[in-house]
Amino acid sequence: MKRRGRGIACMWYPIGFTVSANPSAAVVKINEDGTATLLTGTVETGQGSLTILGQIAAEELGIATDDVHVVSADTDATPMDTGAIASRTTYVTGNATRLAAEKAKLILFEVAAPMLGVKPDQIEARDRKIQVKGYPQRNLAIGEVANHAQVVMGQPPIGAASFNPATVALDPETGQGKPFSTYVYATQIAEVDVDDETGEVEVLRIVAAHDCGTAINPMLVEGQIEGGISMGIGFALQEEILFDDAGRQINPNLTNYIMPTSLDMPEIEVDIVKSFDPTGPFGAKGVGEPTAVPTAAAILNAIRDAVGVRITSLPATPEKVLAAIKAKRAQQPKRIAAG
Amino acid sequence: MANVTLNVNGEARTASVPPETTLLKLLRDNFNLTGAKLGCDVGDCGACTVIVDGKPVNACLMLAGQADGRDVLTIEGLATLDGLHPIQKAFEDNASLQCGFCGPGIILSAKALLDENPAPTAQQIRDALAGNLCRCTGYTKIIEAVQDAARALRGEPADKAA
Repeated sequence: MKRRGRGIACMWYPIGFTVSANPSAAVVKINEDGTATLLTGTVETGQGSLTILGQIAAEELGIATDDVHVVSADTDATPMDTGAIASRTTYVTGNATRLAAEKAKLILFEVAAPMLGVKPDQIEARDRKIQVKGYPQRNLAIGEVANHAQVVMGQPPIGAASFNPATVALDPETGQGKPFSTYVYATQIAEVDVDDETGEVEVLRIVAAHDCGTAINPMLVEGQIEGGISMGIGFALQEEILFDDAGRQINPNLTNYIMPTSLDMPEIEVDIVKSFDPTGPFGAKGVGEPTAVPTAAAILNAIRDAVGVRITSLPATPEKVLAAIKAKRAQQPKRIAAG
Repeated sequence: MANVTLNVNGEARTASVPPETTLLKLLRDNFNLTGAKLGCDVGDCGACTVIVDGKPVNACLMLAGQADGRDVLTIEGLATLDGLHPIQKAFEDNASLQCGFCGPGIILSAKALLDENPAPTAQQIRDALAGNLCRCTGYTKIIEAVQDAARALRGEPADKAA
């Protein structure tokens, strides 16, 4: 019969390694029409990084995300980036982008101050305007200030910046230190049905609560979490690279390397935990890889809850689960006899 | 060589190809319609899905000759100069795709489903997409987009809560 179980797993994951140099750089140029151009070396692979970086630049400049033209991943034209790796882009490249945008913005503030009759530190950038703090009716269009900066003042509003999480060496004797700049945390709960006659596991529901700092784009964060969970389900129950005695992979194709389909995916509930990291761009940390970390552990704990067996090698195939159930049953009469 | 004439996205196209040529190779190499992707080339991944006479098929498993005289719809046939097809729009609005490689096949599988069943359940959508593998998204936002597209095609307002 089918037996239901629930399992929980927690994780932490490091963002922005500091044991070696880990820089990203960015250039932000504010244009005469009030738009901006962002140059970044990072690579978009579908995770939405360029959207996030455009949002960060737009937020700093007080313009809309659509106003930011992102030029990326061209080693001829874009500045250095350590890579779209280690769940670092929002945090490291995002910080570089915010700093570059801030530098370009401060040039506009210097130029706008005498035009508005105030000091630069009394100015803010909002709603596509450079305006006096507390007196938004005293304002100039960003494009107008950018044009004035270039053709009258001779100060093109361009900012270049890099961000490298402060490198901290680990103590060679104790291994103690600060290997990463910040950390993210998550808890996932899995609900499964295990058929105790076949060993088959069906994941019914996953609830995932993730701290990623401030979510700059919650819809993209959800997409990362849902995708990570699908990889975690494959890791837990389906995916395994098999080798023959000569070391050749015997399942090098999707016919017998089995990954989750739309039919294997459970109902997923995502909870983005409210959080703010003062070292991240607008409070953000990261979300990519951590999403796949707790899923398999939560599922295996749910199997334990459902049928009382602890599976210690992945994937938990029906054969393994059934063998563990049979082994447990075989032990039970002995225990009764011994008692 | 085999002479094939088929109707692709509403336009008659002709080619002379070796008989072992697949429909996928014909579309990509002869007609320069590269929306259908070459993934596994053995019918496992669904990235090459196109619609032939109203049915979704793996273009890598159909010979060009078998498509002779038939109607083929590829992803290039969906959007018009006026805008995206409602299914494409729903995928965009829901951020349903990430790397996007599976997208053309999934959108066409979804279209074939919605052409036959304008009000599918979530389970019917999962069944219809079971032959299209996606490594990035976990399918969640894809299924939500198909539900949104179904509502839009039925002329109902989008309901994000459902």
